[in-house]
Amino acid sequence: MILARHAEALLWAGRYLERAENTSRCLNYAANSITHLRAEEARVESELLVRTLGLTEELQAAGPLESRPQLIAFLLSDSDNPGSVVSSVSAVRENLRSVRDRIPIELWEEANGLYLRFPFLGHANDAPKELHEVLLMVRRACLAVSGVLNEGMRRDEGHALMVVGRMLERSIFTVNLLEASYSDPRGALDASRMLRLTSSTQAYHRQHGNAPDFEGVVRYLLHAADLPRSVRSCLSHAEESLNSLASGASALDRPRQRTALVRSRLEFGDISDGLSSAPVQTLSELALELAVLAGEVQAGIVPPLALAEIHSQYLRPGPADGAAS
Amino acid sequence: MAAVNGNGLSGSPSMLLDGYDASRVYDEVFDANGAVRGAYSRIVERFSELDAAELQRLGELVAGEFRRQGITFTVYSEDEGTERIWPMDLFPRLIAAAEWEELARGLAQRVAALNCFLADLYSGEAAVLADGVVPGWLAVSSRGFERNAMGITVPHGAHCNIAGIDVVRGASGRYQVLEDNLRNPSGISYVIENRAAMAKVCSWLFDDHTVQPTEQYGRMLRSTLESMAPGGSDQARIVVLTPGIFNSAYFEHAFLARSMGVELVEGRDLVVEDHTVYSRTIEGLVKVDVIYRRIDDDFLDPVAFRPDSSLGVPGLLGALRAGTVTVCNALGNGVADDKAVYPYVPDLIRYYLGAEPIIDNVTTYTMWDAEQRVEALGRLHELVAKPVGESGGYGVLIGPHASEQELQAARAAITAEPREWIVQELVQLSTLPALAEDRLEPRHLDLRPFVLTAERTEVFPGGLTRVAMRRGSLIVNSSQGGGSKDTWVLAPDSS
Repeated sequence: MILARHAEALLWAGRYLERAENTSRCLNYAANSITHLRAEEARVESELLVRTLGLTEELQAAGPLESRPQLIAFLLSDSDNPGSVVSSVSAVRENLRSVRDRIPIELWEEANGLYLRFPFLGHANDAPKELHEVLLMVRRACLAVSGVLNEGMRRDEGHALMVVGRMLERSIFTVNLLEASYSDPRGALDASRMLRLTSSTQAYHRQHGNAPDFEGVVRYLLHAADLPRSVRSCLSHAEESLNSLASGASALDRPRQRTALVRSRLEFGDISDGLSSAPVQTLSELALELAVLAGEVQAGIVPPLALAEIHSQYLRPGPADGAAS
Repeated sequence: MAAVNGNGLSGSPSMLLDGYDASRVYDEVFDANGAVRGAYSRIVERFSELDAAELQRLGELVAGEFRRQGITFTVYSEDEGTERIWPMDLFPRLIAAAEWEELARGLAQRVAALNCFLADLYSGEAAVLADGVVPGWLAVSSRGFERNAMGITVPHGAHCNIAGIDVVRGASGRYQVLEDNLRNPSGISYVIENRAAMAKVCSWLFDDHTVQPTEQYGRMLRSTLESMAPGGSDQARIVVLTPGIFNSAYFEHAFLARSMGVELVEGRDLVVEDHTVYSRTIEGLVKVDVIYRRIDDDFLDPVAFRPDSSLGVPGLLGALRAGTVTVCNALGNGVADDKAVYPYVPDLIRYYLGAEPIIDNVTTYTMWDAEQRVEALGRLHELVAKPVGESGGYGVLIGPHASEQELQAARAAITAEPREWIVQELVQLSTLPALAEDRLEPRHLDLRPFVLTAERTEVFPGGLTRVAMRRGSLIVNSSQGGGSKDTWVLAPDSS
């Protein structure tokens, strides 16, 4: 039986691992595409990417992005930005460090090795000249961590929770991307962009030809059963992993049910119908559904009794309680 | 004694050992005439085949291995960051089988006596105090004496399940005990990782020797802890309790949990209900039988001890009293490894075991004895003064290295609070070659072997050899720039 704290750490290690990879992919795309855009277009593109990564609030705190180096610094090395590559990699490492007694040594070493490569990147505001190589290194290292996770880790609760974390983060990213793409103020419903940002171009071309249409790609990224980054595929894996967790974890019943419900709506048409009539609203509702699901998973594994409650059984009330009385 | 120029090394000149000066103190490798001691002959030959660049390259490989694996320790006062890569020098320390056998017997004897002392004291009988072997006022005034431990039953009477006894060799070459660590002795994980790194990077060094293995520690520790479970060892649920990832020994805590195959928990993972300790899992509360705690007494239970502690488990003391859980090491062991009690350990061995100590103490002067104090203060420039409340080498005054001003300050401090100090004869710790830039130079070292006790006592072969990496320094603590060495206990049939 896995400790609740360990469960939480592994869930978040999975989420941050996926986040590091997502951010690296977006940054790689942005660094190339923005080079060819005029200033206003570059700003819009940057904001769309930030929105896709769910970092709008963090950007507001950091201030406007007025140049390509600023975007790179914000997404790559800004330690105040929890979605930056450096923050995500650090968080993977810190979470795995707190459970290193129960994960394969190789998994820890891969995560630690990735983290250790970052001090050489320089300061936050210096965009590294070898950005492409750095991002490639991050993505390859993330794949190596995934490889150890898949091939070297016992299929226990810890493994299941890391998978759940990755699949949740991935599905949230994909839905955010679709939603943001519909809302592009330039009105450019760019299908290729969505495929590139999900590393799905090759898979799509093989199945549907190399002239992607926007709505076809949206449906592909939502519904494709054989695409690892489609929302349906992510939720299927998450559902399988949640079901593999011991039946005694009854607090996870609710997220299990919700995962199954959303997955079946994707599989059997409900969401597909909504896309035809009101795509933005449908995607917004799906994004909300996934956010609620993530919250329920978190609530299902955190300790049922908060530390403050335990202390209050034994210790006199703290200052806040005293003031209230 | 003579300096060694390499010409005496089995006819194989070694640039690395050129100018190696073994004449000042007892050297583990070279005798007074500069000849290689038997056990080291093949090792010296092997090292004489290397040059400094190759040795540095191998050292970098080890450091890289430790860095990749995150084998670290934390120095709290540093600005540069919390984690430091564990330092290891490649020249191993060898202990011959017969030498180890005697040392192990002495260590087991010492820990047995200390356990008797703790059991006697906390049972409430305290015959040892009544019989005047240890002054009663000294024991109860110890910071490590814990009134809350009185009357708590400990399985097998084993209060100290994991002990780390620091031993040194002085000019005579005899082992002496420098310090007992009976609360949370750390370092065993580094012993095992040092060996693993040596086996990876310098496997050829092992070709000529049969060395006792180290990887069995997890099994030994688990077996020890299982037999400490209340009501027997069947299906005992053991956890390792850590302060968390920012603790200096966190790497070790995780290592121990992994090598035993048990959970590594923090205080917030445990909860006490109805005087029973449970861990909080995603399936609800699961009973815990044995807690191998790596946090100090003061932080164990905020109800009984420091109320501001968030590291401990509220209600744990009540569970201990109810006998539903065992905490290892037991509460209150600090009284037995108090530096002020240390001078009495040989008498404790005689008192409880009716035997003479196999390993001596370093000659120690008790500052609360007026006669000894006067003598020691008069010779303080030749001696070592240690505050009893410090550890890690902090606060130690080494007379021959101290200025007159420092000596005066120490005299004043000792006179003001004699209970807080002991003074010892200076032990010129033995030396062993260690890499210093482009050559091997003698460096002082000590040894911390580990002793496990429950139903029976086992001494883990070898221990943590700590080495002062600065020339002439006697401070071996890693927190103060010390390094470490792989420690080889040779099998009886090994050369």
